[in-house]
Amino acid sequence: MVREVMQKAGSLAKSLSDVLVCPLSKHPLRYCEVSNSLISDAIGVSFPIKNGIPFLVPRDGKILEEDVSKPNNDTNSSAVNEENQG
Amino acid sequence: MIKIVLIWIMPIQKMKGLWSVFRRRKQETSFAQFSTYNGDDSRLQIFDRNLKHKQRDRAAWLMSSKDPLLHNVADNLLDRLHDCKKDFPTALCLGGSLQAIRRSLNGRGSIEKLIMMDASSEMVQACKNDADVSSNDNIESVYVVGDEEFLPIKESSVDLVISCLGLHWTNDLPGAMIQSRLALKPDGLFLAAILGGETLKELRIACTMAQMEREGGISPRVSPLAQVRDAGNLLTRAGFTLPSVDVDEYIVKYESALELIEHLRAMGETNALFQMNTVLKRDTAVATAAIYDSLFAEEDGTVPATFQVIYMTGWKEHPSQQKAKRRGSATISFNDIQKQFGS
Repeated sequence: MVREVMQKAGSLAKSLSDVLVCPLSKHPLRYCEVSNSLISDAIGVSFPIKNGIPFLVPRDGKILEEDVSKPNNDTNSSAVNEENQG
Repeated sequence: MIKIVLIWIMPIQKMKGLWSVFRRRKQETSFAQFSTYNGDDSRLQIFDRNLKHKQRDRAAWLMSSKDPLLHNVADNLLDRLHDCKKDFPTALCLGGSLQAIRRSLNGRGSIEKLIMMDASSEMVQACKNDADVSSNDNIESVYVVGDEEFLPIKESSVDLVISCLGLHWTNDLPGAMIQSRLALKPDGLFLAAILGGETLKELRIACTMAQMEREGGISPRVSPLAQVRDAGNLLTRAGFTLPSVDVDEYIVKYESALELIEHLRAMGETNALFQMNTVLKRDTAVATAAIYDSLFAEEDGTVPATFQVIYMTGWKEHPSQQKAKRRGSATISFNDIQKQFGS
């Protein structure tokens, strides 16, 4: 069961990196495993994933608080920083 | 049960409506144009998108899995993939009749990966459940809840965009089409079917007469729809090359006007105008059904309803596509040609 969920998350993360972007800013989305949501760092909004389906309607997005919007682990933050510089 | 008989007037209509323009306009792909969101709510709102999402949520439960009208339109739309020599590995299916598209696909266009997107979560869920039960082909499906007006798809990432009877509910149709074009890879195909202005003309007339008679005034009950001539302009405006438009008319026969409304509700095609009158008196509703029956009923007692479907096809620009030569670039005089062939 856990493996299945992990696989789902893995395949979702892969497919979203291919095609999905933030509907408002059109910048890449980051998958957050803790909250099971897609986060648009460009505008600081998180979009939920329910039952394996990402909800990317602007109305479903939640504006993140300042401290939460910062990525939790180092790999993500470095990736984001690179993006910002580039 | 609703008895539905479909009549095609297709071939004649198709030839009449078919036209092509080999012209394109330069579009800048700057960020400002890419996103139609401008942060203020003062832009023109014709349709209440939230109400439409709710209606489609309900329709997901009501919709019959083999709606003949939706399946015919989806089938007809997908037939166009046979006309292309190209394969479309990645396809994006925008709102509207998702399930009908999924069922009628049958390997057309050799699609390997299909992204199913709808603004209604129930609709997407229903489609996902449906595919889980009957997945007999090798198409990898990804499901997303998204709004056509705010397309969450990366630039140049899909080969095909299909929209079957969904785009006529967008407030910003040119914006949605521009976003679809940007999501396409070069030489990608945009296929869309929308309901045209002739749709439900009988109901429109019956509603107006009933309201005049019972309430002494009218309010729009049937939503405004695009005309055929607009469809061509829309494609050109959105920057598609080799645009073509054709029209089909389907006449569906119902036992009475009430069955028609039930069918509309099951398709999620009921009124979602922003400024609509939310009160419908029972008196007026019954009068509408009576007028509909007396004006349009046929000998066998059924009432017909017209559905005009506009099919739009456009390609994203690619150097390999044919196009007109630059003005004044000819190297041979027409006089010489005339001499060559004689007159």
